[in-house]
Amino acid sequence: MSKASMFQNLKDLIAKHYGDNVGKMLIHTGVIGWILSAAAQVVAIVINDKIPKEQKMFLVPQEMADAAVNIVSFYLITQTFASVAGKLVKSGKWLPGAVRDFFEKSGLADKLGKKGFDVTANGNLPKDLQKKYDKFHNGIDVIATTLGSILSCNIVTPLVRNEIAADRQKRGIARMNAKNPETKPLDKPSVSSLYQKVTLKDFQALSSGSIYNNSGSLKI
Amino acid sequence: MAISSISNRISNFSSSVTQGISNVIPRMTVRGEKANKVISWIGEKVSSPQNRLILGVSALMSQPFIDLHNRKVDEDTRKVSAARTVAKIIAGTLTGVAIRSGCIHAIDAFTHYPREITPDMKFKKLRSLFAPSEGLVKNLTQYKKSLGTIISLVVMVFTNFLIDAPLTKYLTNKFVDRIREKEQLKDNNAAVQQSKTTNATKETKEVAHHE
Repeated sequence: MSKASMFQNLKDLIAKHYGDNVGKMLIHTGVIGWILSAAAQVVAIVINDKIPKEQKMFLVPQEMADAAVNIVSFYLITQTFASVAGKLVKSGKWLPGAVRDFFEKSGLADKLGKKGFDVTANGNLPKDLQKKYDKFHNGIDVIATTLGSILSCNIVTPLVRNEIAADRQKRGIARMNAKNPETKPLDKPSVSSLYQKVTLKDFQALSSGSIYNNSGSLKI
Repeated sequence: MAISSISNRISNFSSSVTQGISNVIPRMTVRGEKANKVISWIGEKVSSPQNRLILGVSALMSQPFIDLHNRKVDEDTRKVSAARTVAKIIAGTLTGVAIRSGCIHAIDAFTHYPREITPDMKFKKLRSLFAPSEGLVKNLTQYKKSLGTIISLVVMVFTNFLIDAPLTKYLTNKFVDRIREKEQLKDNNAAVQQSKTTNATKETKEVAHHE
């Protein structure tokens, strides 16, 4: 196959999958975006000469685990929102008024919203109504995808990530204490340790020990 | 167990979850002309740059507060963490929106069906460079947006290092400096207040002693 026809095939593939489905494109490019951003973080660690090899062996899987949390949370939540909204519109449970009126007139109103019913396949909509329905479908798809991404990226993921990062860093501090019992900031019971909290000093002590100098996912 | 069987089970499970959720959601009919227009407009106009902007703005309204209320770390860490989050959101949103939008515009210029190319156009040979085969899509605009977004992801692999990371660092330092300045000012005020109170107490005691 020539390069030109390979390129044409690639364009056609994109057209087939995403040409008429913005919601699907937003989800897939969102996932790819998360993967690339995680890959960039990993590469940043790998090419950082200041991080010793043994620590890279710990930091790289840690960064990958963070990426997995981000990607899975984004995909599951956003995809669920998009699928449910898509199903509601496809089965006719959610419709523009003009399309519902058409179904009521044609005696199909009782089938709307039922499992297996497909507005486009079973409805025989006139052209203008089909166009209205397609636009409505696309709009609901984008709204659902956007709401799903807001919930996953801006609420669920930061909460889960903070939880995991705080826990991981607490364990890291404990490990540091075990290794260097003479280290001052970490071996004294500080006010924060009474409340089981991690202080900025602790983080700074850790980063001077260059264990967490990639800043982790707690965004320090 | 064959991979196809596992994938079928997952797909059946996800389909029944989707069906279950959609069963409990009530019917909805959008009758208003304006509401239908808004929904159609969103489907037509909102693509990845707008989506990124919406995500950025809503992130600014939620993520810093989540960091500020993270009870597992101390107050100092919470503030620095929130400052870094704000910096990251601003840098990521600015570059994300600009690059997505730029790539979509660039793709738009070079995605024409051969029949659409007019004699007055410059770079005629390149004008159909990104066009798919005719008849594959109902709406070429959506295809352009999708391809532009995919290309922008490739561009962002590099800008993540070249723009996002340094800009995030710069903004974080600015915000942290501002937080420190405010704290310093607060401490100074508290110290002045404390010394005033101490002096006043001393004077009262001295007066009482003389009496």
